[in-house]
Amino acid sequence: MKKGIYMIGLIITLASCNKATETATSNNTPTSSITVNNLAADTIIGLTPQGIPFGSGKYSFYSLETNKKITTADSATTKWDIGFRGTSIIINGGNSGPGLGGGFVFIGLYNNLSAVPADSTFKVDNAPSSFAIPAGSNRGWFVYDAINNLVNPIPGRVLMIRTASGKYAKLEILNYYKGGVTPPATASDAIKLSEQRYYTFRYTYQPNGSKNF
Amino acid sequence: MLMKRLLGMVVVFSCCTLTAQVSDTLLGMVNEVVVTATKTERKLSNVAVPVTIINQKKIQQAGSVRLNDILQEQTGIYMTNGFGTGVQMQGLNPDYTLILIDGEPLIGRTAGVLDLNRITVGNIKQIEIVKGPSSSLYGSEAMAGVINIITDKPNRNTLNLSARYGSYNTSDINFNGSIRKNKLAYQGFLNNYATDGFSIRPNSVERSIAPIKRFTMQHNLNYYLSDKTNASLNFRINDEKIINIIAVTNNGIVTTSNGIEKNKDHNTTFQLAHRFNSHIKNTSRVYATRYESLQELVTSNGAPYTDYFKQQFGRIENQTDFIINDLLEVNTGVGYIKESANSTRYDKSENTKTNQIGYAFLQTEWKPFTQLTVIAGARFDNNELYAAAFSPKLAVQYKPSSAFNLKASIGRGFKAPDFRQLYLNFTNTAAGGYSVFGTVEAQKIITQLNSIGQIASLENDFYRLGELQPEFSTGINFGGSFNPNKKIQLTFNLFRNNIENLIDNRLVAFRTGGSQIFSYLNLKNAYTEGLETDVQFQFSNTFNINAGYQFLLSGDKDEIKKIEEGKVFTRDENGFSRLMQKSEYVGLPNRSKHMGNLKLQYEKNNAFANIRFIYRSKWAVTDTDGNGLFNTNDAFAKGFVQINTAIGKTIAKKLNLQIGVNNLLNYTDINNLPNMPGRIFYTTITYQFIQKNKK
Repeated sequence: MKKGIYMIGLIITLASCNKATETATSNNTPTSSITVNNLAADTIIGLTPQGIPFGSGKYSFYSLETNKKITTADSATTKWDIGFRGTSIIINGGNSGPGLGGGFVFIGLYNNLSAVPADSTFKVDNAPSSFAIPAGSNRGWFVYDAINNLVNPIPGRVLMIRTASGKYAKLEILNYYKGGVTPPATASDAIKLSEQRYYTFRYTYQPNGSKNF
Repeated sequence: MLMKRLLGMVVVFSCCTLTAQVSDTLLGMVNEVVVTATKTERKLSNVAVPVTIINQKKIQQAGSVRLNDILQEQTGIYMTNGFGTGVQMQGLNPDYTLILIDGEPLIGRTAGVLDLNRITVGNIKQIEIVKGPSSSLYGSEAMAGVINIITDKPNRNTLNLSARYGSYNTSDINFNGSIRKNKLAYQGFLNNYATDGFSIRPNSVERSIAPIKRFTMQHNLNYYLSDKTNASLNFRINDEKIINIIAVTNNGIVTTSNGIEKNKDHNTTFQLAHRFNSHIKNTSRVYATRYESLQELVTSNGAPYTDYFKQQFGRIENQTDFIINDLLEVNTGVGYIKESANSTRYDKSENTKTNQIGYAFLQTEWKPFTQLTVIAGARFDNNELYAAAFSPKLAVQYKPSSAFNLKASIGRGFKAPDFRQLYLNFTNTAAGGYSVFGTVEAQKIITQLNSIGQIASLENDFYRLGELQPEFSTGINFGGSFNPNKKIQLTFNLFRNNIENLIDNRLVAFRTGGSQIFSYLNLKNAYTEGLETDVQFQFSNTFNINAGYQFLLSGDKDEIKKIEEGKVFTRDENGFSRLMQKSEYVGLPNRSKHMGNLKLQYEKNNAFANIRFIYRSKWAVTDTDGNGLFNTNDAFAKGFVQINTAIGKTIAKKLNLQIGVNNLLNYTDINNLPNMPGRIFYTTITYQFIQKNKK
């Protein structure tokens, strides 16, 4: 009986290995750039009496490997690679999740980045004091325009990501508003609030574990 | 042989001088004397630095009421919005232009801006605008230049009343009189200005110009002790009361605050001038001024808010002018300044912050030969609170012929750190609880907060905090004028200002809880450069045209360096990042590349009509692509033309009637020009009760 279970276990392992190898051989080159539109990231559901906006407080998890949204129920698994909540970004690693994930912000152009730079160090999340992708305006991927109350992704910022399974990806955030269009500076606060926290980003994932894109 | 040649030159020269005078007369400039450029009286045509003079007639015929009304129509000058109306000259912020009334500085700046609405033009004899650094004579703030307002002096018996009324229930009443008897002369001036203000923003309780009442009075007493000695006492008060309804929108929640803002401005000057002989003249001046501002608000949620600011400035200065011979003149002066400030925005408003400055200046004017004038000068300011400043200047004027005149000057200007940059202790609880601390306070407060665990993290810039240095500029001006005949005069000036050590605020720490703490550092290096040109064309005895244009470029040197290193990006049409090209860089925001004006003036039989066009090309307002600097991918305010027009008539030499329309095209821009009303109409009546003893 015990043996049987072992056997089944072995078969499953083998099968999964096979599957992995197959994917790797058929997909030795990185995925071409994928664009994800309108990923809602804890959109605003109300304002405190002081006028501070709030959402439900939950991260939107995403798997770069499968190009799919991952439910909140799987937050403690390695199914997801990156999580978004407002302007905060977490990577599945460190104290954010059980994965092998890490990351840093690279200054340069997404298209010119053919490999993870040799001298780079991947950081892991150590919430709440530090994150692989630094939180706050003008420290990581975005700048907050306080005069017009708008969040603008800084151009020339590439998020280098090590996924939950230890693979590599590069990611560029294109926009923070619904439909991938930033409201004009003159738009009402109501529009600026209801249309924010929708990520549009593009990424390239290298499934073979190498650092080349 | 040589003698003959020299004689020939003299003959040619005197001929030219003659024609020059004739043409000067036609263009109405023969009597124009300027004091600001050299701190001594000089004919405008003999001044080696770029100077513009606006006389009383021009001010009146433009229908101006406040100083900014007339300045905004001048070439190369732009009036900025925010903390009042300030002046942008040669592309430099309002912080860097010194504003003087009769040679004495006005104080009471908010965030570096001196609100020019505080100054009535009702008793202005002329406005002198000197462009380029003038710290060699005037010390701090004279980086972009100096605007000196020369008020009417009692030299005859006069009594005038003028009243103007216009749109938005705006009234301006002036009462001006002077009397001279034997050795004593007195001039009194009263001005009362009131407006309901306006809002061009629909559905807003907040008015972009609040209801304001202003009262100004000025008294000037002159005592001519002898032919050689003159004592004068000048006293000025400006009182303003602004009714505030301020609406702060924070994420859609509107908090309104109602209350009153009162600003008071007092200036007193005593001057004693004595001419020992034809070679030596001495002038001693004592000046005291105070600016007090109190804002008391009650917000709709019941919280009271009080903002109090008081600044005092006292100065004693002695200037001696030596005319050594026909070729050489030396002006020298020493002075002492004591200034102080109290504010609720500092640690405690009871604590007075003080600064003392001792200074000395020397200027020599040398005419090695008639066509050439060389002015060399320097000033040294020694400060208690920050590093000393040395400001030299060299200016040369060359007049190869009477029709042609060239000027070149190079000088250093500086602006001392102000009390705000040193002592501010301000936490904005309404907008997220961020704090701004002046540099003197910052290290102390943050270290203290850190020791009780109130600081989450210190930024790199915290460790760079230290003694603030004055901001410096080096300005080069090269220009000249050309009047080929009696009808045309062309002036031009090329300028370049290299600005170092610009003070800017930086994030220095985070509080536990995430609130940001800012302080001030000497950070930036910038430049402005351009060309300014004016053409006057006297079409006929009755009709003349004035056209002015300024081309302006500006930039932040560190930003340019980053662009050159390929570290600045923007986005393409797909939203993907791409490298930003240097050609896309637009430099400093809120500056137009092209500004121009065109004024047509007709005058005949005691009647006049004029129409003035003022143009400003687009300017950068918001960094929308998030790359931290201004480039063609960002948001711009649209360029626009403003047209002002006025007609007037004098009846029986005593009564003047004038009507005018400003902003004829009714141009408005709610977001970028909130202070600019739509079309306004006004009418002015002036009556001269007494006008005799004309000098």
